[in-house]
Amino acid sequence: MIPSDHFPRFYNEVFKFLATQGHAALEQYWLEISKNQERHTLELFKTRGLTGMHEYWSHIRDEENCDLDLELHDDHLELRMNVCPSLSKVLDNDAAPMGKYCDHCAGWIGPIMDKTGYHLVYDVIDRTKPQCVLRVFKDRSKAEAAEKQATLLMGWPGKRERE
Amino acid sequence: MPDHEKPMRYHEGGNVHLDFHGATNTTIDYIIAQFGVEVMDEIFAKVGREVYADLRQHLLADDPSEIARHWEHFFGRENADFSIEATDDEIVLTVRHCTAYHHVQKLTGAVSPHFCDQTIKTNNAMAAGTPFCIDTEITGPGACRQVIRRRS
Repeated sequence: MIPSDHFPRFYNEVFKFLATQGHAALEQYWLEISKNQERHTLELFKTRGLTGMHEYWSHIRDEENCDLDLELHDDHLELRMNVCPSLSKVLDNDAAPMGKYCDHCAGWIGPIMDKTGYHLVYDVIDRTKPQCVLRVFKDRSKAEAAEKQATLLMGWPGKRERE
Repeated sequence: MPDHEKPMRYHEGGNVHLDFHGATNTTIDYIIAQFGVEVMDEIFAKVGREVYADLRQHLLADDPSEIARHWEHFFGRENADFSIEATDDEIVLTVRHCTAYHHVQKLTGAVSPHFCDQTIKTNNAMAAGTPFCIDTEITGPGACRQVIRRRS
């Protein structure tokens, strides 16, 4: 068994292989993971909106031992990851980290948000540091304004085509 | 400090997020469907050789007990039903209820037929080129026996 604690280090090895096949191979895999994650999130996000997202990431914060702040506003949700346990494990690893490890997060969350009608703004800030800011907006124009403030804005499969 | 008192290379605390096993199951089926079982096996082998380089180093240094500590820690964290027995000749891990397997069964209803390859292939890779082999026998759904013994 690869312990659930070590999933990020396994994930990292999968990403390293897929990167050798090209960016499209990575994106296809993120979409597969996104479909897997719909089981836990899609209905909740569709029916309960930002409150449902707050509920989901509160659960993740506890179960994955994340140091993160969550703020629920009337018009958006903000998740500020202070110490990401996933990237922290990939960096604390006898195997080399995949340089774009962080990209998978927007890679699976973005397609789910697109199905809910909400707008994701994912600022990774710096791929070598285990911190990021995720914001989800009801209003597209507010998301676009927030994108302009991002330091390292993430995309995801399908985002480019829509813009 | 004796080896058995030193902190393990990977020692985790806090809660466990068992849904990661579901993502592992999805990944196994996806990689095999897209790229073939040999690619999946090689990814597991890299996990065994590189992620678990420290465990491998212990085997190379004639110390298989570190893997027993690893099993005790991680199967314990996931509340599996297991036992470990060490004799002069071998260390045997008996898993009667694998939390990973049964969690995936509950989540998806369909565990990949290659799910236990993560154990078999990483064990083989960790032990390759060392004085030890790690044999993994699947004894039932979510049950197995893993044996570390010196190569003859």
